[in-house]
Amino acid sequence: MPQVRIIAKNFMDMVAALPAMKLDKLYENAFICEAILRSLPPLAKKYVLQMLCIEVPVTAKSMEEWVLPDGVSKHRVAIDRLIQLRIFTETVDRKRETTYTLNPIFQTNLKKLLLYGVVLPREPMPSNVTVRLPSSEDLEAFALGQWECFLLQLINSSQIERPSNISSSMMKIFQRGLLSQRDKEAPRLTESGFQFLLMDTNAQLWYIIREYISNSEERGVDSADLISFLLELSFHVTGEAYNINTLTEVQKNTIKDLADLGLVKLQQGRKDSWFIPTRLATNLSVSLTDSSSRKQGFVVVETNFRLYAYSTSKLHCEILRLFSRVEYQLPNLIVGAITKESLYSAFENGITADQAILSFSYCTFIYFHFGSSLSRRFFNFQYAQINECTFHIISFLQQNAHPRVAERVPSVPENVTDQIRLWETDLNRVEMTPAYHYDGFPSRDLFEGASDFARGYNALLWEDPEDSKKMSLVVKAENHVHMREYLSRQRQ
Amino acid sequence: MGHGDKGRPSKKLKFSAKEITHLDDEDAYFGGEDIDDDVRDGEGKKRDFTKLELKPDHINRPLWACADGRIFLETFSSLYKQAYDFLIAIAEPVCRPESMHEYNLTPHSLYAAVSVGLETETIISVLNKLSKTKLPKEMIDFIHGSTANYGKVKLVLKKNRYFVESPFPEVLKTLLKDEVISKSRIISEGSRGSDGFTISKTMGEIGAGPSDLLNEAELAAAAEEKETHAFEVDPTQVENVKERCLPNALNYPMLEEYDFRNDTVNPDLDMELKPQAQPRPYQEKSLSKMFGNGRARSGIIVLPCGAGKSLVGVSAASRIRKSCLCLATNAVSVDQWAFQFKLWSTIRDEQICRFTSDSKERFRGNAGVVVTTYNMVAFGGKRSEESEKIIEEIRNREWGLLLMDEVHVVPAQMFRKVISLTKSHCKLGLTATLVREDERITDLNFLIGPKLYEANWLDLVKGGFIANVQCAEVWCPMTKEFFAQYLKKENSKKKQALYVMNPNKFRACEFLIRFHEQQRGDKIIVFADNLFALVEYAMKLRKPMIYGATSHVERTKILEAFKTSRDVNTVFLSKVGDNSIDIPEANVIIQISSHAGSRRQEAQRLGRILRAKGKLQDRMAGGKEEYNAFFYSLVSMDTQEMYYSTKRQQFLIDQGYSFKVITGLPPPDSGPELNYHSLDDQLALLTKVLSAGDEAVGLEQLEEDADDIALHKARRFGGSMSAMSGANGMVYMEYSTGRHKLGKGQMKSKPKDPAKRHHLFKRRFG
Repeated sequence: MPQVRIIAKNFMDMVAALPAMKLDKLYENAFICEAILRSLPPLAKKYVLQMLCIEVPVTAKSMEEWVLPDGVSKHRVAIDRLIQLRIFTETVDRKRETTYTLNPIFQTNLKKLLLYGVVLPREPMPSNVTVRLPSSEDLEAFALGQWECFLLQLINSSQIERPSNISSSMMKIFQRGLLSQRDKEAPRLTESGFQFLLMDTNAQLWYIIREYISNSEERGVDSADLISFLLELSFHVTGEAYNINTLTEVQKNTIKDLADLGLVKLQQGRKDSWFIPTRLATNLSVSLTDSSSRKQGFVVVETNFRLYAYSTSKLHCEILRLFSRVEYQLPNLIVGAITKESLYSAFENGITADQAILSFSYCTFIYFHFGSSLSRRFFNFQYAQINECTFHIISFLQQNAHPRVAERVPSVPENVTDQIRLWETDLNRVEMTPAYHYDGFPSRDLFEGASDFARGYNALLWEDPEDSKKMSLVVKAENHVHMREYLSRQRQ
Repeated sequence: MGHGDKGRPSKKLKFSAKEITHLDDEDAYFGGEDIDDDVRDGEGKKRDFTKLELKPDHINRPLWACADGRIFLETFSSLYKQAYDFLIAIAEPVCRPESMHEYNLTPHSLYAAVSVGLETETIISVLNKLSKTKLPKEMIDFIHGSTANYGKVKLVLKKNRYFVESPFPEVLKTLLKDEVISKSRIISEGSRGSDGFTISKTMGEIGAGPSDLLNEAELAAAAEEKETHAFEVDPTQVENVKERCLPNALNYPMLEEYDFRNDTVNPDLDMELKPQAQPRPYQEKSLSKMFGNGRARSGIIVLPCGAGKSLVGVSAASRIRKSCLCLATNAVSVDQWAFQFKLWSTIRDEQICRFTSDSKERFRGNAGVVVTTYNMVAFGGKRSEESEKIIEEIRNREWGLLLMDEVHVVPAQMFRKVISLTKSHCKLGLTATLVREDERITDLNFLIGPKLYEANWLDLVKGGFIANVQCAEVWCPMTKEFFAQYLKKENSKKKQALYVMNPNKFRACEFLIRFHEQQRGDKIIVFADNLFALVEYAMKLRKPMIYGATSHVERTKILEAFKTSRDVNTVFLSKVGDNSIDIPEANVIIQISSHAGSRRQEAQRLGRILRAKGKLQDRMAGGKEEYNAFFYSLVSMDTQEMYYSTKRQQFLIDQGYSFKVITGLPPPDSGPELNYHSLDDQLALLTKVLSAGDEAVGLEQLEEDADDIALHKARRFGGSMSAMSGANGMVYMEYSTGRHKLGKGQMKSKPKDPAKRHHLFKRRFG
């Protein structure tokens, strides 16, 4: 199964990953240049500004002289990033001396920006044309509502009130890696999907936008165009109306998708129609680590494992349901309980089909080892590898702690977090060794011979005691070939 | 009531006849383990009340009310204190941790609410005021339905005449339609009114209502004197009349009130609280619920252990100032109650007497206090001549107050007996844990009266009134050999012994004892339900122990040494120590074996160390010593104990306590300085456990500790009075056979040199 990495990457990492041609083309747009500049590490920013008016290559040596000895590592990071983004071109001349040149297009655009000041990508429409624009609260509510609705649809929740217009094929693309579908069963969240839901809105948005961009070529849209449009969008002013007619055809199609995600709100006037960027759109170029957009927490976890979420959101309810048992839903409160069962079902989500089948065969081994009384307990050990889940659940609870308990240290009671971890390690107590089980030996001699043979490889894990009438062996799977050879030799 | 209703609030509005017919009442010991499996029900029954309408100013209001009777209360609301007092009066607390409380409205809780003087409309309007949403219609209907009958009729004893009293004449008319009641009515000549009811005015409720939540007009109405209607009944028929009013008949259960101030027939007892006896705020509050309208109400007051229940009892007795019969669970606590009476009140020595198998005192004068045990009163067999005389006196006297300690442990059957044997005007039950695994706590509602007050543990901890206990569950891995035996079918009866005797557990216990004795200078109680384990542990560690067979004299001696001697810092207790043995010095509990999933036992044991120690300001939140008491529960991993342990902790967790899980005790670097380090020692121990008879290491015989008040098995006992009261050393047949079989094994661990024995043991072996 392709592993989907849910690392919340910066938009700029995506930009950096574009092919050189596209990247150069991207810099033709002055807004991109500005956005890129903003995203740079502080030292890299300084280098760009320092070299803004230098038309000739600068040697690496002279640049190294600018930094103090303890700043070398930062210097390296800055230079690497600049080269990666093709802002710097590195050349090594015959004397093996390295020099750097600033990307000329980038340079020109930035210079223009400095000389003529910031030019808005497009002018907002005059207010006499656009009557009844939404208030900023309304716009915020719209954006979050759309986003929530989208997420609910994404996880195939039954709680959706009105499905968005996002095509089901597009939805399938977004769901790739987040949901897994085993034949005819209802799709289930994968471990990545589980983590995805527990991330904050900004990080989730990044993930979706990234998928949206990487998939653009299939829709016949140039990814560089798309990136430049999205970046451009982030320079618009939240809450202002912009005429849709200023957009290209491709952009017009894109803006419809973005409206479904809650990045912009579309409105239709008597003559014109316009789009209003929401905070989700204008935050796009903001660095991910910026936590100023963090929402107020809403979850209270008590020492008795009960969980109270001050939320009206159906999505929150769905998220809490992933790892707790929701008992009551009130107009602005969700009441649940974290139980061992609810957590185990959360851990289970991270299991792929392959892992489940493999571990089943170990279960039989364990069964032999400990007898039936314990087998049920040990059936659970298939979750042995999961540890990310616990981390995500606990950090979700901590990050979203209600202000009433947020100042409390720790915000989630220690006994609860301890218990969650203990429940998880409880599943990891069994070390797994792939093994084969042999039985039905025709004679005691053969059985004992096989057992000695296996012992010779240090591969015998278990054998029936001598006084038992049954004759069976459990041998490490890696020695199965040897065992098979041995047994077939004996049979002859 | 209690925990059985948790998660599935009662839908029925009326009591079924069945509930009251549960006569055979016993604590469901091992049978109790499945009871609350379905209590916190799964997703299937989750409740969606999102359609309730939020009030615009909901942020300022502290609670949500659901249609199924569940109520959620924010403790950080500015109205919390008022809302708490109100909710505790009308609803049953489900859990009360730090930030959010949950309550259930049940018919029982509403019965209790009505009986302390809250009226249906008041309940609804106050609840509506506090609620963030509009009250669901179902809840309003439920309150109406539940309060329609309850609390409407009172049985009042005035000047030694019994009156059936009600503010609603139509209810009285309904009652009089019943043949039994109409026959027992006494029609006096002076009665007026069209129905012939006596009309009088009673004082309005003082201080009991949520006055600060009502607006002025309502307040004025509440304070106004109320007109009540009454008719008199024949004193000999009172019991019959009461019975007719129970839910299985007319369904107008009568509240009993005692107008003690106007009782001129029973002689007054000259006693009052000493000036230094200053009831704490919550004690005042509970008393105000009891004496709210100038009369004494019957009912139950629930306070955590160590929060000063005895002061409440003594205060109640000194307010009524009539003869008082005080019932305790065992001889030790009889002594303690007598001491408390003398400590807090001005009662003279000759006015108070203890009646146990050892001391058969009688008070002088015509009024006084008798402290005795339930068993002494309820005992049905032959008594000595002397006790027969005393019991006659107890039976014949009209008691002003029947004070009952630890009501949760007494089977309903015994209550019936005690209550039918003694004539009392007012009954007050005291307890810390109104939970029973058999969920028959509801019987107490009608036998004694409704719950009058229940304190919040966490608030008392914050106020520094009870100790702030750090609870921990210590996970001890089973050693390989013990676990192998544990899994064997043929050892099914020895499972408990095997997980209790787990060498890792022993070592953890020894480590903890050393740590607390040496590093902190603490006083430690070790609890073991399993007698085999108790003896083994105590002998090996050379510590004194008390169990069912320990005589009263020896108990007193050991406890005295534990309290005063610097050399005796640890004492091993069997189940006898669960209730009411007062050991205020102890601040550490180590529990090595326990009674299956009994939540009550866990709470009672914790209660042994709840009495606050040190200075008040140190104990207050943020004070110097955040934790001054420790409760360890040692469980062997992968055994039944883990499962029981979770169940047992439920009550305390619902009160806001949290259990920290500790693994890795004793520390891995500890070696032979702790016992059972070597495999040989461990194997020797294992052989000992396995070779002991099933009955010696099993569970059964322990259920009959002489002191355990679950004396429904009284018929099995011998006829000796002293044995009945749990005062002398009674050795049971099962136990003694077990001990004989153990004989050889025990010899080994016996110290060879008698001089090295602990002085407390010398007696035993001497």
